[in-house]
Amino acid sequence: MASLTIQHATKSFGGLEVLHGVDIQIADGEFVVLVGPSGCGKSTLLRLIAGLEDITQGEILIGDREVSHLHPKDRDIAMVFQSYALYPHMTVEENMGFSLRMRDVNLSERKDKVRASAEILGLTNLLGRYPRQLSGGQRQRVAMGRAIVRDPKVFLFDEPLSNLDAKLRVQMRSEIRELHKKLGTTIVYVTHDQIEAMTMADTIVVMRDGYVEQIGSPLDLYDRPANIFVGSFIGSPAMNMLEGRIGGDRQSFVSNRGTQIAFGAPVSPEADRKVILGIRPEDIGVSETGTPAMVRQVEPTGADLHVNLDLDGDGFTALFHERLPLEEGQNMGLKVLADQAHFFDPDSGKRIE
Amino acid sequence: MSVASIQRKRRRETYLVFIALCAFTFVNLMPLIWAVLTSLKDPKDAFTIPPTIIFEPTLKYHWEVWFENDFVRYLKNSLIISAGTVCISIPAGSLAAYALSRIPRRNAGPILSALFTIRMFPHMLLAIPFFVMGTFLDLIDSYLLLILALVAINQPFTIWLMHGFFLEIPRDLDEAAAIDGCSSWQAFRIVILPLARPGMTVAALFSLLLSYNEFLFALVLTGTNTKTLPVAIASFGGEDITAWSLSAAGAIGIMLPIVLVMLALQRHLVRGLTAGAVKG
Repeated sequence: MASLTIQHATKSFGGLEVLHGVDIQIADGEFVVLVGPSGCGKSTLLRLIAGLEDITQGEILIGDREVSHLHPKDRDIAMVFQSYALYPHMTVEENMGFSLRMRDVNLSERKDKVRASAEILGLTNLLGRYPRQLSGGQRQRVAMGRAIVRDPKVFLFDEPLSNLDAKLRVQMRSEIRELHKKLGTTIVYVTHDQIEAMTMADTIVVMRDGYVEQIGSPLDLYDRPANIFVGSFIGSPAMNMLEGRIGGDRQSFVSNRGTQIAFGAPVSPEADRKVILGIRPEDIGVSETGTPAMVRQVEPTGADLHVNLDLDGDGFTALFHERLPLEEGQNMGLKVLADQAHFFDPDSGKRIE
Repeated sequence: MSVASIQRKRRRETYLVFIALCAFTFVNLMPLIWAVLTSLKDPKDAFTIPPTIIFEPTLKYHWEVWFENDFVRYLKNSLIISAGTVCISIPAGSLAAYALSRIPRRNAGPILSALFTIRMFPHMLLAIPFFVMGTFLDLIDSYLLLILALVAINQPFTIWLMHGFFLEIPRDLDEAAAIDGCSSWQAFRIVILPLARPGMTVAALFSLLLSYNEFLFALVLTGTNTKTLPVAIASFGGEDITAWSLSAAGAIGIMLPIVLVMLALQRHLVRGLTAGAVKG
């Protein structure tokens, strides 16, 4: 186990810079998820940590040891690949014990360690099989087994669940979480799925276009997104955004299309300030005297009700936990409480406190 | 259309395809059949028109080829040269192909194109410089010279073939091996090479066939000590038809070792040739 420090990590491919001086401090035993849309640089950052790409500038430290330019084998890390990358010509046991074999661990110790890891992951009965004889979930577990058997300082996961079906993904999510609790090893986990990030991480790092947008706990990011991007990226369905200005009494908001939303209490931005209002779909309530909206579409998921609304031409999504008797084309009133509204600066995109 | 009539139609189509394939196979095997029959006939029977179907077979010419003509020595030369070529060509070609499959495509492309260009040269054009170099280094009529020349002309094909196989092995495996503690060489040797075995078998067989059957380079670069089978057979021919039965017996003799190798490795050959055809 060890902490992980990334200082001003920059990566260029030819003349194209894809990571622009990333700084992240990861504590010993922390579960950190790097999340962001495709092409944001999260996998590149993971590969820099693993040593699979050369860092252009900056430093990576595992514990107190600088590893920026070391070969992957000398970094004492383990990685689970999106494709699992199991060796097809080796059995599960050989796959799991391979890293120990390369480190000249003797056969009996190797067998003991593989068996111990296999037990943790429920793979004991599969040790003699080849990867092609395993299901997707089992392969995933073998890939994790290969990582934990060596007791490395840091685990790296590169979108490990993206090849699994939805049900298995939920199961593996909690298994990885359990594993982390059991082993306590520092984990850096890359995903583009914000639900995965929210449910698994101690700390989430949101990335975009090679920059870190925000670092924080899942609820921190959800409750206080640092900017419009984080606000709309974290949370599903996505946060509603409306451009407009704060009313003169600081208790309301008027959108550019003229929709008025009353908060019932003063909000933080000054009166008449141009803002972008962000409202999470689940923070919208129903009030007969509230902002009028027309129901465009009702999507029941069983547990919730997703409602697409029209606010004077602006699209808006609401999520209700009750099964409201709503019909398409119906008019309804909406309410938003002051402490549930998020405000962002329209020019910088940053959160207004 | 009823199920029975569809089945009938399918069966009829299968029969037609079978007959067409039999005819195709017969046409292809015709020279071989002719050679086998000629090698078992006296020259006067071999050249009668229409050909004699019923004749008294003789193994005289096979005996003569194998035991009165130094055929065994030529076979030994051919086998040494072929094995030598395969032993150099496959390791060197695999290393080159692996490297080319792992460097960026924009860098590998020109090298692969250049190799392809070498393949386009008429062999006669390359044989002469090899002869000059061989003379200069005093290597004419040595195994080494012919082996090196055959490796050189064989290498583009081996590299192209192996390159395709290595491209199909995911790069994640190299990376997983690196993280598991392998150096680049260990990753290649322990993880990648075993997976490329079907491809290597195919490349080795093609390399073996090419060097075993090669005539032009063998004719130019060998002498009495290192003469190979194809060169020896050519010397049986000529306008004297009595030598044709001998030539045919020699041709069958040449074929036998290679047919045995092919039969032994058939399983690998088919697997290697079809590898990657189906994703799975």
